[in-house]
Amino acid sequence: MAAVENSGRAAILTRIRTALKTPAKTHDAHGNGAAAARVDIFAPVGDPLERFRRECAGNKTELIVTPSFDASVAAASAILAEMHAGEIFVQDAPRLRGAAVQFGAGRSVRWSCDGGPLEATDVCVTLAELVVAQTGSVLISSDCGGRGATVVAPVHIVLAEMEQLVPELETALAQAYGPASRNSYLSLITGSSRTADIEKILVMGAHGPKRLIVILAEG
Amino acid sequence: MTTTAQEFLRRAAEKSADIVHRQIIRKNMDTYEEAVAQSRGRFQNWQSARERCQAIKRDAVEHLDHYLERFEAAVQARGGKVFWAETGEQARQYVLDLAAKHNVRTITKSKSMVAEEIHLTPALEEKGIAVFETDLGEFIVQLRNEPPYHIVTPAMHLTRAQIAELFKEKLGGIDTDDPVELVAAARVALRRAFFSAEMGITGANFLVADLGLVAITTNEGNADLGVTLPKIHVVITGIEKIIPRLQDLALFWPMLAGSGTGQPITVYNTLVGGPRGAGECAGPEEFHVILLDNGRTDLLADPEQREVLHCIRCGACLNACPVYRNIGGHTYNTTYSGPIGSVLTPHLRGLNQFQHLSYASSLCGACAEVCPVKIDLHHHLLENRRNAVNSADRPVSERFAFKMWKWAMGGAGRFAFAGAAGKLALRTLYALGMQGTALDPLGAWTKFRAAPPLPGKSFRAQWKEQNGGR
Repeated sequence: MAAVENSGRAAILTRIRTALKTPAKTHDAHGNGAAAARVDIFAPVGDPLERFRRECAGNKTELIVTPSFDASVAAASAILAEMHAGEIFVQDAPRLRGAAVQFGAGRSVRWSCDGGPLEATDVCVTLAELVVAQTGSVLISSDCGGRGATVVAPVHIVLAEMEQLVPELETALAQAYGPASRNSYLSLITGSSRTADIEKILVMGAHGPKRLIVILAEG
Repeated sequence: MTTTAQEFLRRAAEKSADIVHRQIIRKNMDTYEEAVAQSRGRFQNWQSARERCQAIKRDAVEHLDHYLERFEAAVQARGGKVFWAETGEQARQYVLDLAAKHNVRTITKSKSMVAEEIHLTPALEEKGIAVFETDLGEFIVQLRNEPPYHIVTPAMHLTRAQIAELFKEKLGGIDTDDPVELVAAARVALRRAFFSAEMGITGANFLVADLGLVAITTNEGNADLGVTLPKIHVVITGIEKIIPRLQDLALFWPMLAGSGTGQPITVYNTLVGGPRGAGECAGPEEFHVILLDNGRTDLLADPEQREVLHCIRCGACLNACPVYRNIGGHTYNTTYSGPIGSVLTPHLRGLNQFQHLSYASSLCGACAEVCPVKIDLHHHLLENRRNAVNSADRPVSERFAFKMWKWAMGGAGRFAFAGAAGKLALRTLYALGMQGTALDPLGAWTKFRAAPPLPGKSFRAQWKEQNGGR
């Protein structure tokens, strides 16, 4: 297979280089997009928390703001207590290990280091890399319980902190993938899974969660 | 006229008269347009946003070799494999070999127009491999054994009653037209596939050059499952999907969503760049990216139409096109439909066979107006018309007519003579009762309408009389 690989590669690159020797002709006299300053494009985000609240309301993310991480754990436990007692999948992070006693009352906890979530998992609890005000999104990476773990269960609870809230998406992307990062997976999640493929009628919980709950600790 | 063109005209006439089709498309477009108007409001300046997108894609395409190599190196550094396929055949063969090597029986697929372009699914099915489309719209058209109707909304042409009927017949035990229950039924059927598949195939919305990441956008989360659960992940994509930097997505993600569905941003914007890495707790053992040429470098070599490679496949030009809305996506009988399909298909599949698509346009320019990367679509249709006339066979009658026209336009006397001769010929034909027949040069018009009365004197004669020749 290696020989085929190389022959296609060289042929395609040669064709590209030959083609690009001739400059492109354009009809428009306004090919000055580079001059269109980035700051023009989106209005700057004023109060990030206020914006995040508004975006979450718009994209149907359930947002709970708490005074501290401990209060966030209590809030998550309260949500879990309302659900029937199935297995939950939790990101294997020291802070969540500490919280698991509260989550785990009467149910089994599967830690992300023990493999991916089971199909029957009821709830997935993770931390986030960052939280984005401009779009009301959470940025998850493979460090947050492994890739795709957040999509299997019907409910995804994210515990985040105020210092992770970034106003603009562009800043978030610049911070998300530092030079040291080797993550093979990142996902910007904005609301819960949905489809409108049937007569444009919005239905929640297509393949992924029906509910996305973000618990943001201010302290 | 080629049989492809004749078939196109027949289907177009049939579809335009289909009232149910008109109603369902109207309903879809009304919802879409309302959402798009709102999403535009999220940009402080939508025009400068498009210009910025255009500039980024131009940079990407003008340095395509550089960015592709950069992308490749970054993917390889993470343990992924990159295969460069010159043709659809080579790309298909690569996937078939990989499937055979790993004894793959089940594949989950998230939406990919490139996979449609190279007819990947039929090739896999021929080898006895079960392929599951996991995007709901794609799943529906797959059950109907139909190609997608639209780049973004594959099942746009179906009513919920039709989908209910389909699920009742194909999925078993389901008898409802409630969209919530229909979606739940598809979810259950596809979960089984996800947890048993050995290979997941996805497309790519963008290839991020600087970090070697593949960006995949879905609302359902199906791509996230597809890149996680099966032990092999294959990305199949065109070489033109490249963008230079990760931060460019801060503009392209909202732009794609706003133009595609009118959302502020799509729910899952996922980036994958390799197999499961050291210290990661989930993900495939193997990660392959197939970079497909299949005619794209020919388009790159055409300086006039190079910018067609800037397309991000948002589907906005389809929705805006009055021709698409009337004749529907399937009438085109091509992988890419609507204005972008009419521009692209002659390049990918031959100008002679697909030149009729250059005329499937009123040249109103609505497509170019909504294009988020400002591709000058209707001008490219005109160029394709010109290229077709120059290179392909046109009917003798047409070539003769244009020769005559060129001669007549060459001088005032000739023009006057041609006008008088034409009038005389029409008078004679119509006196013989041949109006609207094949011999009538205005037949296409007069077949269904009365011909306007021919004036006694030409404009030139009247001008001479009234103004004394001045």
